Amino acid sequence: MYELRGIRKVFADGTVAVEDISLIVGSGEHVAFIGPSGAGKTTLFRLLNLTLRPTAGALIFEGQDVSALSDAGLRRTRTRIGTIYQQQNLVGRLRVVHNVLAGYLGRWSAATALASLVRPRDVAGAGRALAQVGIPEKLWARTDELSGGQQQRVAIARVLVQDPDVILADEPVSAVDPSLAVSIVTLLRDLSHESRKTLLMNLHSVDLALGHFPRIVGVREGRVLFDVAPDKVGPELLAELYAGHRDEELQLEQLRDGKVSFGAACRPLPGFRK
Amino acid sequence: MARFPSARPADRFRASGSKRLFPYLFTAVFAACVVFSVREAQVDPRVFLEGDALGNVAKFVRGMFPPKLDVEFLGLMAGPAIETVQISVMGTAIAIALGIPLGLLATSSLTWRGVLHERTSRTGRWLLGVVPYAASRAVLSVFRSIPEYVWAFMFVRAVGLGPFPGVLAIGVAYGGMLGKVYSEILENVSPRPLETLHAAGASRVGVILYGLVPQALPNVIAYTLYRWECAIRASAILGFVGAGGLGQQIELSMRMFQFDEVLTLLAILFALVASVDFISGRIRGWVA
Amino acid sequence: MARGAVARPGRAAPLLVGVGFAALLAWSWHGTAVDLPGLFGGEGLRQVATYVVKLFPPDLSAGAWRDAATGAVETFAISLIGSLLAVCVGLPLSLLATRTLLYRGILFEARRPGPGARAVRVALYAAGKAVLNLLRTIPEIVWALIFVFMVGLGPFPGVLALGFHTGGVLGKLFGEVLEDVDPAPLEALQATGASRFAILVYGVLPQALPQFVSYALYRWEVNIRAAAMMGFVGAGGLGQRIHIAISLFQEHQLMTLILAIYAIVTLVDALSAFLRARLV
Ligand SMILES: Nc1ncnc2c1ncn2[C@@H]1O[C@H](COP(=O)(O)OP(=O)(O)OP(=O)(O)O)[C@@H](O)[C@H]1O
Ligand SMILES: [Mg+2]
Repeated sequence: MYELRGIRKVFADGTVAVEDISLIVGSGEHVAFIGPSGAGKTTLFRLLNLTLRPTAGALIFEGQDVSALSDAGLRRTRTRIGTIYQQQNLVGRLRVVHNVLAGYLGRWSAATALASLVRPRDVAGAGRALAQVGIPEKLWARTDELSGGQQQRVAIARVLVQDPDVILADEPVSAVDPSLAVSIVTLLRDLSHESRKTLLMNLHSVDLALGHFPRIVGVREGRVLFDVAPDKVGPELLAELYAGHRDEELQLEQLRDGKVSFGAACRPLPGFRK
Repeated sequence: MARFPSARPADRFRASGSKRLFPYLFTAVFAACVVFSVREAQVDPRVFLEGDALGNVAKFVRGMFPPKLDVEFLGLMAGPAIETVQISVMGTAIAIALGIPLGLLATSSLTWRGVLHERTSRTGRWLLGVVPYAASRAVLSVFRSIPEYVWAFMFVRAVGLGPFPGVLAIGVAYGGMLGKVYSEILENVSPRPLETLHAAGASRVGVILYGLVPQALPNVIAYTLYRWECAIRASAILGFVGAGGLGQQIELSMRMFQFDEVLTLLAILFALVASVDFISGRIRGWVA
Repeated sequence: MARGAVARPGRAAPLLVGVGFAALLAWSWHGTAVDLPGLFGGEGLRQVATYVVKLFPPDLSAGAWRDAATGAVETFAISLIGSLLAVCVGLPLSLLATRTLLYRGILFEARRPGPGARAVRVALYAAGKAVLNLLRTIPEIVWALIFVFMVGLGPFPGVLALGFHTGGVLGKLFGEVLEDVDPAPLEALQATGASRFAILVYGVLPQALPQFVSYALYRWEVNIRAAAMMGFVGAGGLGQRIHIAISLFQEHQLMTLILAIYAIVTLVDALSAFLRARLV
C-alpha cells in the first residue's frame, strides 16, 4: 500500500518534524503508531494523506510515486485515503449531515455538491454511518453544538461514508471516555478487517495500541525507533521511546504500578503485570 | 461489531417553533422587499445600451488621460487637499468633545444603574434614568441619524460657505456616532473591578478613573481613530455641498467636463485616505 | 537593576504624541477658520437660532407628507438594492483577493503551482486587489456623478454608485475574512479528495458567512445615509427633495424631509441590529 523511503519534512519555520522515516505498509495491514508528543506522528499522517509534500525522500502509494501526480491525480488518490484528524477539523457551522456527507465530495460533481447543501443527497447513508458510531440522533444537529467526543465520532462517520482503501486515524479516541475509546478502536479495527482496508492509527494510550494491533511502530524525534509485534514491546523499549517526556513516563509508571485499569478488551501489558 | 450506548431518542435540535418559522418568514419578506425596491429604484440595465451611455463612458475615460499634472494646477490643489485634512481633524476633535460628555451620560452604569448607584434612592434613580440618560440618548440618536451632508447643508445656511460648516457637520454627526459607541464600550466594561474598588471604599471618581477608564480606553481610542479615517472621506465629500476641501474641486471639474483634473484629484484623495489609514493603523497598533 | 524588573515607562513618548496632536489641532483650527467664539459669542449663535426657528413647524400638509414618504421609500429602495449589488460585485472580486484560495496555504502544500502558474495567480490576486482599490477610492458621490453622466437622472445611477463603491469596500473586507478562516477543516475536506470548489463551498464559505452578513448589514447602515445624498447630484430619493427645499428656501418642508430621513435611518439601523442578532 505505502512505501516510504527516507521521508523528511521540514516546515517553513525550520522545524524538522520528520527526520528520516522509511517504512513499508502492506495492503490490509493494521499498524499502530505510538510515541511522545511532538514526535512527528501527526505530520507523518499528513504526509501519508497527501496534504503535505515531503521535503526529501520518496512516498509511494500503490506503486505510484505521489510526487509525480497531477492535481487531478492527487484528488483521485486522496479519495482512496480516509483521514480522521486528531482535532476534529469539522466545519462547525454546518449540520452534522453535511459534515458526514462531505465524505462523498471526492466523488461528487460540483453541481451535486452544491445541490446537496440545499437538499442533502444520501441522508440514509449518513444516518447509517452515524448509527454505527452511536449518534444517529445527531443527524440534523449543528456540528459546533456537539461535544468533543461526539464530533470525533462525526469525523469517523465521514470516513465510513467516504469508504476509502486506507484509513488514517490520528488519535481518534483522544476526546472520549475510556470505554468508548475501546469501542471506537474496535469498530475501526473490525470494519477495516471486514472490508479489507488498511488501517493506520496514532495512539496515545499504549495499552490500546498493544491490545488491538499486530504491528507497533514507535516514533521518536521524527524517526522510527522500533517496528515490531506487540509482544516484543517491553518496558525497556517503552522507557526509551518516552524518555524525557514527563507525562508519558508518568503514564508508564502508573501502568507498572497497576493504578490504571485497562478496558475489558485489552490484554494486560507484557512486563507490567503486578 | 462494537456496541455503543444506545441513541437518545429526543433531539434537542428540532426545538422551538419560532426558530423553524423565522427562515421562511425572513426569506419571504426579504424577497418581497427586493422586488418592490427594484421597481422603486427603477433598476433597468438596458439604459446602458440605450442612447449614448457607452459613448459617454468612452468620452469620460478618454478625457481622464493623461491626468492633469502641471505644476500650476497641482499648486492650486494643494490648498484644498490640506483643507480636507484639516476639516477631518477639526471635525473629529469636535466630535470627541461632543461624544465624551454625551456618551458618559448615555451610559446606564454611570448615570443610574449598577455599583455606582447602590445608595441612590429609587426615585432618584428613576429621575436620573429619565432626564440625563434618556435625553442624551435622544440627542445622540438625532445627531447620528441625520447624515453629515444634511448637517453641512444646514450649517452652510447658518454660518456661510467655507470649511467651517464642514467641520461642524462632521463634529455633530460623528459626535453622535462616537457618543453611542463610547457608551456601548463603557456598558460592556467588566463590572468586577469596579465592585472591588467600590468595596475598597473608592469614591465615584476613583472608581471611574481607576476601574472604568483603563478598561475602556484602548477600544475608545481605536474606534475614534477609525472614525477619523471615515472623517477624511466625509470631509472630501462635503465639498459637494459647498463646505470646502477637495470635494468642491472634484465637483467643479466634473461640471466643467475636465476629466483629466478629476483623475488627478481622485489620486490626491486616494493618497490622503491611504496616509490617514496608515497613520491611524500605526497608532492603533501601539495602543492595542 | 534586578533581572526581570520592568523599567519605569518613559515619559517622552506620550508627551511627544500629545504635543504632536496639539500642534495638528492648532494647525487645523487655523486652517478651517473655526470660529467657535464667534459661533457661541453673539452673532453666530443668533444666526443658527434664527435658522432653526425658521424650520418650525414642519410642513404637515398632505402634499408634503406624500413627498417625504415617496422620497423615503425611494431612498430605502436605493440603499437596499445598492447594498445587494455591492455584495454581488464584492463577493466574486473578494475570491480573487484571497491568496489562500489562489497560491498559498494548506490547499497548495502538496503540489505548489509551477513558476508560470504561480505568476499568473499572483497577477490575478494583484488585479483583484487593484480593482477593489479603484472601486473603493472613488467616493459614492463621484460614482453617482459618473453614472448620471452615463445613463441620465433617476434613482438607478444612485443604485449603481452605491453598488460600485460599497462593492469595493465589501470585497476588501470579505477577502480579509476569507484569508482568516480556520484552515484545519479545509485540510480535512481536501483529504477526502474534494475539489477546490467543493472546499470553498463546504469549508470556506460556511465559516465566512456570519462575518459576511455582519459586514453587509453594517454597510447597509452606511448606505441608507449615502443613498439620501445621491439625490444632490440628481439621483433621486430624499436628497433630491432636500436639495430643492433648501434651494427654494422652503424651510418647513425641509423640516418634514429631515424628519423623514431621521425616521428611515433609524428604521434601517434597528432592522440591521435585529437581523444581526438573528442571523449571525
Ligand atoms: N505547521 C507547522 N509548522 C511548524 N512546525 C510544526 C507544524 N506542525 C507541526 N510542527 C512541529 O512539528 C513537530 C511534530 O509535530 P506533530 O504534530 O507531528 O507531533 P505529534 O507526534 O503528532 O504530537 P502529539 O502526540 O502531541 O499529537 C512538533 O515540534 C510541532 O511543533
Ligand atoms: Mg499529533
